[in-house]
Amino acid sequence: MRKTKLHDVAVLGVGMHPFGMFPDSSNADMARIAGLAAMKDAGVRFDEVDASYVAQIFAPVMTGVRVMKEFGLTGLPVQRLDNASATGSAAFFEACHAVSSGRYDVVMVLGFDKMTSMIQETSMNTDPAYLEDSILPAGFFAMWATRRIHERGTKPEHLARIAAKNWNNGALNPMSQRRPDKVITAEKVLGSRMVAWPLTAMMSCPIGDGAACAIVGRADLAKKLRPDRPVVRVLASDLQSERYERGHLFMGPVVGPARMTVDTSTAVYEGSGVGPKDLDLVQVHDAFVIEELEYYELLGLCGRGEAEACIERGDFERGGRVPVSTDGGLIARGHPGGPTGLAQIWETTLQLRGEAGPRQLERARTGLCQMMGGGSVCCISVLQRS
Amino acid sequence: MSEQTKKRRPVKTGYFTVPENPAEAPRLLGSRCEDCGEHFFPRRAVCAKCLSERSVEAPLGPDGTLYSFTFVHFPLFGSMKMEHVGYGVGQIDLPEGPRVQVPLAGKQEEFSVGMPLVAELESIREEGDTEVVILRFRPAVAAGGAR
Repeated sequence: MRKTKLHDVAVLGVGMHPFGMFPDSSNADMARIAGLAAMKDAGVRFDEVDASYVAQIFAPVMTGVRVMKEFGLTGLPVQRLDNASATGSAAFFEACHAVSSGRYDVVMVLGFDKMTSMIQETSMNTDPAYLEDSILPAGFFAMWATRRIHERGTKPEHLARIAAKNWNNGALNPMSQRRPDKVITAEKVLGSRMVAWPLTAMMSCPIGDGAACAIVGRADLAKKLRPDRPVVRVLASDLQSERYERGHLFMGPVVGPARMTVDTSTAVYEGSGVGPKDLDLVQVHDAFVIEELEYYELLGLCGRGEAEACIERGDFERGGRVPVSTDGGLIARGHPGGPTGLAQIWETTLQLRGEAGPRQLERARTGLCQMMGGGSVCCISVLQRS
Repeated sequence: MSEQTKKRRPVKTGYFTVPENPAEAPRLLGSRCEDCGEHFFPRRAVCAKCLSERSVEAPLGPDGTLYSFTFVHFPLFGSMKMEHVGYGVGQIDLPEGPRVQVPLAGKQEEFSVGMPLVAELESIREEGDTEVVILRFRPAVAAGGAR
């Protein structure tokens, strides 16, 4: 029996290197900046870290242990983990359960990637003979949108409004890859280059580089290390892969059945004792904007078929009922790969502490972070200020 | 459009048939579980529904129903042909149960969710006297010879 509930686990500290294009920075450079920032934020030294999980997608062998040497050589266990887009979230999930089980007191979760080099490598290693190579991520998610339009009468304007929200949230985030200096309108999103009908370039996440780090540990340590601020607990965390049902795509799927988000969030809601109505902010895998629309319903933020009406009301915007992608999401903040899920933890932790600066929400006690990983998996964690 | 005198070979073996007769539609090479009867594409050794290891090959299609689709505004992977810059892809439900994702033949306005489709072969490049072909789906109502 798999358990999602966590016992006295807290986020001790978070740190980031901005997401964007950094051709002159190595993975080690970016990781060092994010890791040192997180340890400083937590109030721990590297020799107080019991273990580490390194989140990176396309790493050459040995990358994890080599990059960890940037902080020192203390003999700690270093494990590298890959789960596509959900890599950082999956590493966080493992770290939280390791602390919950009593295995470690303080764990570093370090994510970094250079999506720019990854894309080149992917293209080189991809066999054009595979049937599925004609189905690119944008095309795959565009088919979600086509189906949604067929079933629910969704308009491209609904998609554009979500994208505009995320771009404008990104403008408030110093770590965001896309930081527009003018307000982005839905019209501008609709007018951008068509990528895969009905998805435009501004409805899609950029490629980029970056790093993010979370220090996870025992909740009582959080109080001792930083008595000056509230403790951000991780109540529950789960990761699920697909369950078979008829119509399952075995070739070319980027992200599997919608049901995976329902199953994973249900398990996390049960484990945490928190329901969708208790959430004050939510981060999702909005690599393409149709995903965010679907996740509103799959996470239970609204009922089936209600997403469009909620978008029209602004329910998921800043100041709305439950703000989503408050740091800009993948669409604006960016999606380098390994660190992406940890950027969600960074944002949620700062919001729950009341340290999110110009992005700070009025009410922020409980937050949920959801990521999908190609292949595919869904990973969800619920954080709460105590 | 394609010269039928040329030999044809699949871009990758084991996924679809290339009939000798060019007028004959290709079929997808799937499998069927001998215990529960569920069909899969591509072929599986272990049934994903009942976990049985009694799997047999089963040709699927060539008919299908369009579940969803898009038109992508970049070049078709692996194709050297200009007309493949900007192309359709669809999710197609086969009558036996599996859903597949493959390119579509035709223009965006020819497609709508729920319409009947049929599989065909399309050359993406030539290698000597052989045409390398992929499998794609086109609207069932349009005659194959018309394009």
